[in-house]
Amino acid sequence: MKTALRIAAVVAIAALVFAPLRLNGYLLNLLYTTVLYVALAYGWNIISGYAGYFSFGQIAFFGIGAYATGLLVADQHWFWMVAALAGGIVACALAVPLGYVMLRLRGPFFAMGMFGMAQMVRVLVTAIPATGSGAGLFLPPGSSLTGVYYWTLAICLGAIALTLWIDRSAFGLRLQALREDEQVAGTLGVDVTRAKITAFSLSALIPGLLGGGYALFLTYIEPDAAFSSRLDLQSIVMAILGGVGTVWGPLVGGIVMTQVSEALWARFPQIYLMLFGGLLVALLLALPRGIVPAIASRWRAR
Amino acid sequence: MSLLAVDDLQAGYGDFKALHGVSFAVEPGEIVCVIGANGAGKSTTLKSIIGIVRPTGGTVIFDGEHIEGRAPGEVVERGVALVPEGRNLFAGMTVEENLMVGAHPKRVRRGVARRLRESYDRFPLLGPLRGRRAGSLSGGQQQIVAIARALMSEPRLLLMDEPSLGLAPKITLEIFDLVRAINRDGVAVVLVEQNVVQALELASRAYVLTEGKTVMEGAAATIRGNADVKRRFLGEVL
Repeated sequence: MKTALRIAAVVAIAALVFAPLRLNGYLLNLLYTTVLYVALAYGWNIISGYAGYFSFGQIAFFGIGAYATGLLVADQHWFWMVAALAGGIVACALAVPLGYVMLRLRGPFFAMGMFGMAQMVRVLVTAIPATGSGAGLFLPPGSSLTGVYYWTLAICLGAIALTLWIDRSAFGLRLQALREDEQVAGTLGVDVTRAKITAFSLSALIPGLLGGGYALFLTYIEPDAAFSSRLDLQSIVMAILGGVGTVWGPLVGGIVMTQVSEALWARFPQIYLMLFGGLLVALLLALPRGIVPAIASRWRAR
Repeated sequence: MSLLAVDDLQAGYGDFKALHGVSFAVEPGEIVCVIGANGAGKSTTLKSIIGIVRPTGGTVIFDGEHIEGRAPGEVVERGVALVPEGRNLFAGMTVEENLMVGAHPKRVRRGVARRLRESYDRFPLLGPLRGRRAGSLSGGQQQIVAIARALMSEPRLLLMDEPSLGLAPKITLEIFDLVRAINRDGVAVVLVEQNVVQALELASRAYVLTEGKTVMEGAAATIRGNADVKRRFLGEVL
């Protein structure tokens, strides 16, 4: 069983690596979108799934990464991957003070607070004249979709590896403990503030790194794209549908949702959003804990 | 030298002051019982010692060092552990995961596997339950997990907040037997209890709290015989 899964994982990764050689533009585009969503869902899953702090504002870090990359590429003429890496580091570093303030809030207050925070960051970023304000920022052409795809794939695989580690580590156990009962975790000696901020900054690093690739993909950044609430909400829905706080939930939820969304959009362009919404409600009613936990408990019951 | 010396401890929640001067001491290897009515400040006293409530005055000296106002992580690192009121397990996690979170101090992190084995030896009931969700256990089982979780940090002083709360009398006796056994291994215990008669049988000395103040102290037997204690906590009509 274990070896079979391992072989399947190696085959899947090899297929993903060689995919750009065989796929046409449309399919590579779809693959990029899928990998991007899965990676975003993994990023969200650390602070919101493992630590239990539901955030509706991780897109702020995606936007910071996108704009940092845009500025470094357009004004400073950095190689885009280096710029995107810097964007991720900036997002991660900013998450430490932001987390210190925001993580004092809990439950719905944290969720709403992060939503407001993302709006605030968006306004601040676009207030900087160098970002082109609301008009946006053009990036010099030259990067290919293939390059952006590999960048995003690497981050996605890294996010999965990070989640696998968290799920098995003492750090992950501390996050789950504070999700269950923060005060009791504290009485056992867990430094809950530190654990939360670490989780939060990891959850910022991933979208921060992804944002730069996305900026290159669009070749043009404007606030609505960089701080896209659609990206934010859809990746959250994917993680929830797959299974919050599980290793494979974001992967399963992300793949299923992107493909279903794409298929519905292609066949029923007029009513696709309605169908998508209806399907989502039906799935969540049928599998309230998500696809992965439902399969896992079925498996154990056999 | 006392293992724990609490002197004139004051603490509260916001504007509300719960402790107005709690003083007591625990000698190494001793069981001390703290009794008092609801709201007398017993739980707050334990929370202030472990550090999740910040004292506003007074001193707490553990093993010769001031620990008042220290973060819980440091206090636990030095060898104090708390079994919280109402057990408060991580309900969605397994029994084993609960125990592993208890092994938090740096000095015990290397030996987690060994500590787990020792736990299952000491509490044979837990071995078969290790993969079960903690929230699905009975009250008595949960209390044992809570005690085992606190012991994972290898404390020299165990603070227990109402371990008999909500348990059947027979289970309470079993829990008290466990406390006695743990104490025999050299762990000092501060026991906060509503079950005054049994707690006083277990303890060597006792303190009485009223409205956030220590008002009486003495050998457990003396406290047990005190007319005021009898009337207020034991419901005996004199």
